Formats: sequence, C-alpha cells, structure tokens
Amino acid sequence: MILLKQFCQWLNKCSLNAVRLLLASFMLISSQVQAQSLRVELRDADGVPVTGAVVEVLLPEALAAEYRAPMEWAVDQVDKEFVPEVSAVVAGSEVRFPNSDAILHHVYSFSPAKVFNIPLYGQGDNVDFAQMFDNPGVIEIGCNIHDWMLAYIYVGQSRLMAITDENGVAIINDIPAGERSYAVWHARLDTPDNVLQNDIVIPDSGVAEVQLQQALQRDRRIRRAPSSSQERYR
Amino acid sequence: MSAIFAFRSFRTRLLVFLLALLGPVLGVIFYYVNANNTEYTEETINRYLELGADVFDYTRQQQVNTLQAIISSLTWDFGFRSAYAANDPATLYDAALNVLDRSMRSADSLMIVAMSGDVVIDTSLQGFAELPAQWQQLLDEADASSQREAETIVTIDGQPFQLIALPLYLPRQVAWIIGGFALDAAFVERVEETIVSEVSIVRVSSEMASDVIASTLGQDQQNELLAQLQVSPDSLSTIQRIRYADEEFSTLLRRLTGPEYSEEQTYAVIQRSYDENNVNVVQFQRLLLEFYLLVLVVSLIAVMFLARSFSRPIMRLAKVVSRIEQGDYQIKAGVTSADEVGQLATSVNSMATGLAEKEKVRDLLGKVVSPQIAEELLSHPVELGGEEREVTILFADIRGFTSYCESLPPAEVLQELNKVLSVISNIVEDEQGVVDKYLGDAVMALFGAPIAGAKDADNAMAAALRIIAALESLNSALAACVGVHTGTVVAGNLGSSNRLNYSVIGDSVNLAARLESLTRYYNVSNIVSAASRAAAPDFLYREIDKVMVAGRKQPVQIFELLARQSEATPDEIAEVDAFSAALTAYRAQDWVAAKSRFSDLQRTCDNRALCQIFLDRIEQFQEQAPESSWQGVFMFDKK
Repeated sequence: MILLKQFCQWLNKCSLNAVRLLLASFMLISSQVQAQSLRVELRDADGVPVTGAVVEVLLPEALAAEYRAPMEWAVDQVDKEFVPEVSAVVAGSEVRFPNSDAILHHVYSFSPAKVFNIPLYGQGDNVDFAQMFDNPGVIEIGCNIHDWMLAYIYVGQSRLMAITDENGVAIINDIPAGERSYAVWHARLDTPDNVLQNDIVIPDSGVAEVQLQQALQRDRRIRRAPSSSQERYR
Repeated sequence: MSAIFAFRSFRTRLLVFLLALLGPVLGVIFYYVNANNTEYTEETINRYLELGADVFDYTRQQQVNTLQAIISSLTWDFGFRSAYAANDPATLYDAALNVLDRSMRSADSLMIVAMSGDVVIDTSLQGFAELPAQWQQLLDEADASSQREAETIVTIDGQPFQLIALPLYLPRQVAWIIGGFALDAAFVERVEETIVSEVSIVRVSSEMASDVIASTLGQDQQNELLAQLQVSPDSLSTIQRIRYADEEFSTLLRRLTGPEYSEEQTYAVIQRSYDENNVNVVQFQRLLLEFYLLVLVVSLIAVMFLARSFSRPIMRLAKVVSRIEQGDYQIKAGVTSADEVGQLATSVNSMATGLAEKEKVRDLLGKVVSPQIAEELLSHPVELGGEEREVTILFADIRGFTSYCESLPPAEVLQELNKVLSVISNIVEDEQGVVDKYLGDAVMALFGAPIAGAKDADNAMAAALRIIAALESLNSALAACVGVHTGTVVAGNLGSSNRLNYSVIGDSVNLAARLESLTRYYNVSNIVSAASRAAAPDFLYREIDKVMVAGRKQPVQIFELLARQSEATPDEIAEVDAFSAALTAYRAQDWVAAKSRFSDLQRTCDNRALCQIFLDRIEQFQEQAPESSWQGVFMFDKK
C-alpha cells in the first residue's frame, strides 16, 4: 500500500495528464477485488451509472484510528477546471492546489469543514498554499475568477474510501469483517446533505456487493463561459 | 323616364348630365383617397404606439439588464461572498445599500433569500417572515430556467417594481439575490423622452382601471384616462380612442404583470394624439375638396359656354323655322358653322326654298284648276289614267254676253267675263262642285269628282238655281243657261306625261253640253236630264220633252228645273201639272185636246215660246200625221 501511495504521489507530480490517466487505470485494474471487500454499484433513477460518488466505510472511532492514514493530495487546475473534480482524502491530509494554467486563479472554500482562501496565484506559486484538511466533511472548492470551476474534496475518517468509476462502481478492500455501515456521497444525490447511509455485513473473505439506485438532483452548476476556452491570455 | 329627363333647355340637360357624371366620380375618388389616408394615418399611429410599447419594454429590459449586471457583479465580489459566508446580515444589508447607492438609480431594492427560503436581507424592509407567493414563483421560475434567472413585476408600497432574481454561488448556489427598480414617474418620463408619446402605468383591479401609478399626463387627463380606459382581454389587441377635452388620443395597452399572479394587474398605457397625426389628412381633405369645387366650377362654366354655343344657333334656327311655319318662305337662316348645326341651317334654307316653290305651284294650281282638283293632284302621285265614276255634270253658258260686249273694248270684255265667271265659279265651289274648265264664256262643272259626295246631284241643282238667279241679279242684260246631266264618266288625268289635265270624259259630258245648248230652242233657263232628276228628287221639275240628240241612240227625257220642292208655289205646281197633261195629250196624238191645253197654257204661263213650239208641231202633225212608230220623241239632227 505504501508503494501505491508513493506511486500516487509520483502521479500527482506528473504534469502529463494523459500519462497520469493511463497509469491510474493500471492502478485501478491491479487493485481490484481482494478479500474483505465492499463493492458498491451506484445508478441514478434512470439506471445510468453514477460516476464521482464517494463511498466510505464508517468505522467506530477506535477502529477508525487504525485506518487513518493521512496522505498528501493535490487538486490541480488545468484549463480552468479542477482536476480531479472529486477527491477523497483522509482527515489530517494535506492538499495542495497547484495551478497548471498560465493565468492566475483564486481558490476558495466557504465550506464549514474547511474555510480557506488562496488569493490570486500563478503557476509555481502554489508551494506554500497546501491546506490541512483535519475535519471530516465535504469541502466545495471554487475559483473566484472562474465561477464555473468547482471541485469537491471528501474528507473521510479512514482510508476505507473509494470513488465510483465510469461504471458507477467503487470497490473498497481490506475492510475489517463484521457488521459495518457505509456512506455514499455525491454532490447531486437527492438525499439530505447528499448522503446515503446503509449497514452492511463484511464477510471474512470475499466481497460484499451492494447495488444502489438513487435519484440525482438537477445539475445546477454554472455553465462555463463560452469565451473561457480561448487561449488568448495563456 | 322621359318625364324625368324632359329638360326645358339644352343647358339644363348638359348641366344635369355633367353633375350626374362628375358628382359620383369625384365622390368615389374622394371616398377612396380619404379612406386610404385615414387608414394610413391610423396605421402610422398604431405603428407609433406599437413602437412606443416596444420602447417601453426595451427601456424596461435595458434597465433589467443593467440591474442584472450589477447583481451579477456583486455575486462575484469576494468581499460580498465572504460577508455572506460570514453569515452577518447587518454587514450584508450595508453592502446591499451601498450597491443601490452606486447603481445610479438602476436598482431601488435588493433582497437576499437563502436556498431554504429564509429572507436574509431586504433593503425595502418589507418584513417578510416568509416569501410571498409571487416572489417564490419568481425564484421557482429562475430555478427552472437554464440561465438560472427570472424577472417579474410586483407591487411594493403601492409602486410597481420590476424584479429580477439571480443565484449566489459559493461556489455552489447558496442564495438568491432579488434586485428591483420602481416603474415610477421617472421611468415613464425616460420612456416618453424616447417615444414622444404619453406613457402611463395603470393599476387594474377586476378589469377596472383603479388608479394611475405613474404618468406623463396631467392630473385631469389621468382622471379621464381612468374613466374611459377599457380593460378586457380584447382591449390588449385593439387600439382605443380616449378623448381629453378637445383632443383625441389613440391608446395602446401592454400588460406588465401576468394574469396568473393576482386579481390586480399593472398595465403600461401608451398614448398618442390622433388629432395631431391627423392634421395632414384633414389638410389634404380640405385641399381635395377645394380642388373639386374648382373642377366643378370650371366644368359648369365650360358647360354653360358649350350649351350656349349649341343652343344659340339652334334657337336662331327655331325662330327661322317658326317664321317658315307661318308662311314666310323668304327668310334665310344664317349658316355660321360647318358643323351639324350649320348643316341643319343649310337644310332649313333648302326646305324654305322647297316650300316656297311648292306653295307657288299649289297657288298656281289652285288658280288654274279648282282647289279640290289641285288637292287631289297634290295629294296623290300624279299619273295618267282614270277611273269610272258617276258624276253630275253642269254646263253653264252666259246668254247675251256677246251682244252685251259688242260696245266694250277687248280688255274690258275680258274683265267683265272674268267677273261673271268668278260668280259662277264661286257658286259651284260653294255648292261642293268643281270647276272643270272654262270654255269661252261657258263653265263646265263637276259634282262627284274628284271627290264623290252623297248629295252631288242635289248640289248641282242648287248651283244651277243660284247661277241663274245670280246672273239675273248681276246684269239684266245677261242670263244663264244651264244643262245638267248625271251619268257615268271616266275621271282622271288626261293628256301626256308632261302635261296633264284632270278632267272627265264620256257620253254624259256631251249630253250635258247638248242639253245646255237646247235651252235656247225651248226658251228655258235650264234643261236637266231624267237621270239628274231622279238623282235629285227634292226639286220641282217640268217635263219639257223627249228628244233624240245627235250621237245618242236612246231618246232623252228632258226637264226644266224650277225650284226646290219646299219652295215651290202652288201656281208653279199647277202649271207643271197642266203642262204635263198637255204633253200627255200631245204624245197620245190627241191633237185637238193637246192644242187646247197648250193654248190655255200659253195664256197663263210665262214661257209662251215653249207652248208655241208644241202648238206649231201640232199644227204640222194635223197636216201630216207622224209615222206610226212616233212616240212623242223630237229629233234634233244638228249638233
């Protein structure tokens, strides 16, 4: 796992998106289905797989501490969009907000779990702006210059988290067996606080499979300004 | 029809026709031009009004856009975002007032409503515990739209407010910002400046205009507007006319608030003076009417001149024709032109000449022949040939004329003759007879030709008596001897085709002449044939003799006409009877009795010579008895 973490860190430093995506796919394939796993498949009301949902296995505080493994994470800004859009980090992790664009960004959050504000900064200015995410919760990250830029950082209690892929599937391995509960969060999940919480029995060996279907709220995000794609000021 | 168009003069007729033609034509032209102009004016006004309403909307929309820009910029302000995130309404309220202050009157009101529906701040301080339906509807509408914004018009403190709603992102939407501006006097004045039309905003409750919220009109006009404005679903699509004192305004309505919101609605009223726009049309109308009047007057004058140019020569001609009618054939119509009237004048002149010639012929004819024959000749086509008809022929000769004339110069002879012949002719014509010809001092007259009458023979007898009496009274030296016979003749035009003579021919004519000549022999004033006696039985006759004249195979019984039966004296009748008895004895060859009777008669009767003729014959027969075939007929061998 440590190796994997290091690999991820390396990936974050990688500026070539294509290479990074390719390697990420490899990583996902190699980390599939091990003993004591939870496989959640999320679909919306129309049966369409929901991607970008965070699934977290909720452990008692004592047990959670064992699985708390703070990590270093980065949410990049590429072509006036946050990459990735949805991140899941363990409480106590430090997240950096590098700027890969040639223009300045103003990253902020007014989310109660983490209020911060990094006024206008450019490429390479991001070194000192790493933020510590101590409290579990969902932090909505915006850019004051580009209103449509929106990223979510899900701060979980432990590392037993995963984000649904393009098939709406999230797999969490290495879960202590027994009766557990898990939470599913998605920005548009049509539930209180956009969260869905269920109990599940994790077997000693094998995979607990859950298939969920839940309606989504209408996408109320700001549309990207049409002229923003132009590279005039790059 | 003819009574309606029976005009006393040509001028009236022309005038009426001109008016009948020109009137409708001008009327129709005026109607169409006027209708088109009125329509155009109305279209123009309506277009102005539509434009005004569009400008009203546009101005409102522009201000909405400005408001939108201000609020949109506000949501981007990191300070404002921070203030909202800080959850400090007092700070937000100050910030909002600051925005209104800097909006240069584009924004009059600002409200922030959290996604939960709680009112965070309201610069109008309306104290909403929860959002009224109309406001919530605005937010729902914005939430449903892809642009995530919406607008509406609401009433705040009796003032219509244009509201817009925009989302506040942090970076996800956390609230709605509702901005508004008043549709007040300042606003309508701004619109009026652009469209140069009166602009009002009117509140309407249950389809009744209840009050004027803002208006560029004066107070009196506002009251009139409320009184006259029609508000119904139909009135939105129609242009109304509203009268302010002496000016009429075309009026267009635009609804500002939708019907779905409440019973109470707000309308924009755009008005434009109809009269002001109609000034040109009225002016054009007047100009057109003046032009028509001019056309009419000029046409009337032209027609009068035309009529005069026609009627004057025609009136002159009529006068000439009237004179011709009275018999003045010498008058000449002046030919002044080569047109139809000129041709007519020429024709009238020719006619006068023709009539004069004809009259001359008739006059001459009447003198040469009797008026009846002249009439007969003139009234029928003159052609050779004739017809058989029964006529009574009268021959009258003047006995003693030759001796009477012996001492007179020839010119006076003719004068005397003409005088006597005139007397005879007049009597003949007076008795419906016709003088056929004069033969020296004799007259031949016809009764029954060319026109047959019922009493031709009677007329002839009357004429004979009158002629005899007239000549006796005219001159004691003269006496008439008359022969009358009634018989069949051929009457017609005799002669050649170049020279004709209406007359009668036949045996009867000869006999009448012969009878006239016998009067000398018998010493009587007239001799009438038996045929004539039979044809005129109302007269008293004395049978004279039975004679055989030359050229006739049958003997003729001859009589002397004495008087009308009604006028005959008893002596005359007795003498006629006595003579008849003597004649009977004579014919019976009772010579003694006959001689005695004639001798008796000779003593009493006037005509002793007549009796002597028979006494001589009796004496002769007593010496030498007549042939056995003798029937009392006396033979006249010589003509």
